Amino acid sequence: MVTSITAGIRSRRWFLSKERLFFAACVVPALIVVVAVQIYPLGFSVWIATKDWVLTASDGPSRSVGLGNFRDTLSDDTFRRSLRNSAIITGFSVSISVILGTALAFFTRAAGWFNQLSRTILIVPLVVAPVAAGTLWRIMLNPRAGLINTMLDRIGIDGPIWLGKSTEALISVTVVEIWIGTPFVLLVISAALTTIPNTLLEAAAIDGANRWRSFLHIELPLITPVLLIAVMFRALDSLLSLDTVFTLTQGGPGFSTYTLSYLIYNTGLREFDLGAAAATSWIFMAIAATLMVLTFWLQARWQRT
Amino acid sequence: MLLMVAISWVVVPLVYLFLNSIKPSLEFLSTPPTIFPSKITFEHYSKAFSDPKVSRLFKNTVLVTGITTLVTVVVGTFAAYGLSRLRLPAKWLGFVVFIFLFIRFYPRVTTVIPYFLTMRELDLLDTIWAIILGHLGITVPFVTWLLLIVFNELPKEIEEAAIIDGAGPWARLRYVLFPLVAPGVAAASILTAFLSWNEFLIASSVARREAQTLPIGVASFVTDQGVHWGPMSALAVVMILPMILFALLVQRHLISGLTFGAVKG
Repeated sequence: MVTSITAGIRSRRWFLSKERLFFAACVVPALIVVVAVQIYPLGFSVWIATKDWVLTASDGPSRSVGLGNFRDTLSDDTFRRSLRNSAIITGFSVSISVILGTALAFFTRAAGWFNQLSRTILIVPLVVAPVAAGTLWRIMLNPRAGLINTMLDRIGIDGPIWLGKSTEALISVTVVEIWIGTPFVLLVISAALTTIPNTLLEAAAIDGANRWRSFLHIELPLITPVLLIAVMFRALDSLLSLDTVFTLTQGGPGFSTYTLSYLIYNTGLREFDLGAAAATSWIFMAIAATLMVLTFWLQARWQRT
Repeated sequence: MLLMVAISWVVVPLVYLFLNSIKPSLEFLSTPPTIFPSKITFEHYSKAFSDPKVSRLFKNTVLVTGITTLVTVVVGTFAAYGLSRLRLPAKWLGFVVFIFLFIRFYPRVTTVIPYFLTMRELDLLDTIWAIILGHLGITVPFVTWLLLIVFNELPKEIEEAAIIDGAGPWARLRYVLFPLVAPGVAAASILTAFLSWNEFLIASSVARREAQTLPIGVASFVTDQGVHWGPMSALAVVMILPMILFALLVQRHLISGLTFGAVKG
């Protein structure tokens, strides 16, 4: 009797530990990938950031400069310009996409084949490669033969040289970011709207609330947590995006559409000034992390009240 | 009204791109430029497909996307199953999830430079393996995170019944749980395929010639001269069209995967 119980316990323990071993083994390949392709390069990048290292001049770092690279970056005019451009492009494109996406989600909300079809069409840019979107818009915006200026010409307006002037180029990049980014907001807000019970809106209608008031007081508060997440997703994706600037303007004319991503890419992988690029990328990282923390904080606060 | 404007704002550029890809080269130079081609031609496509460079771009992209998706789904499913059943302390699990989300959102240019150096050291530069490994670094944590939530939401009773029947962890995954999480796995693999097919930053940093993929090919048309618009548009269509068709085909899974993070996370 006694032996059979201890045997039971022992076998049960053995059973459990073997199972846990199996589960642990399941995680190992993913762990290896994350450590090798993410954690290790991140650490490596910190090390590079403190070095004076231009790959075209030497195969290894020439000397340690401590925080010198960071100081140089922060006082660099191109960095400040890129930071400003990133803030402008992300700020405008995200706010416009969010308003537009939310509005479209409301308009296509009701059931029926027409709304269904509209939603399907409206989310197409989501699966268009950003590189292709940039290329496509570069053709559209061509001052001589592009569709935009051809149409403007037909109604008697002399279209601007979109990508050749600094303000117009900045507007163009923002427009393309809106084209790419709006579908995601539409999709997420549509999904959030379906979770709002109809009875709530009917009750409001009976109480005499018009469409706008019920949006403001019932739906908007309910979708706010999702809206915040959508803003964060869009803001970070737009901030980090390299593809559109790369294919539309190559940062030009001059430095007028240099963004942080483009600046770091250019410094690191074209000029091969690795130390400077790594330091700049860590400053960029701090900005992105702040944005992330801020959204989660706002979301947590909103849900508590 | 707004809806109509929005729909044309999405559709017009895509149709215009397609029209440009079937327009004879000479028409790009006419003044005023034609919008609709006067004669339909497939010269840009036939030229593109007979160019060994373009077929290599296509082959590389298919290989990178296929291998990345396959490996991600297998590794991610196992990792999510393991993580959800290890009974880790909540704090640990929270930390793991935080790391995964961080990887999704931090500026990727930070790791691209050291990654490039590491691949150079390992002599993997300009191979599709460097691109695939780079993509796995993004997709594996993302898919693991997504499936972790799916596994955690399954009712415990089903699994307990299987344990009583004497099914080991592998049999439970294979015969009991996998059929239940299959829709989540499908959504995850679709998202992975899109990401890998369209990814530009990592691919362009490690593949300078032989291993180039379609995004790099499309981005390399930097010239603004009208004569190149035909081939450029044709290549962009070749890149975009399969993804749009694929997206329409798997729309439901795609949407559930995309909205998942925001609505549940």
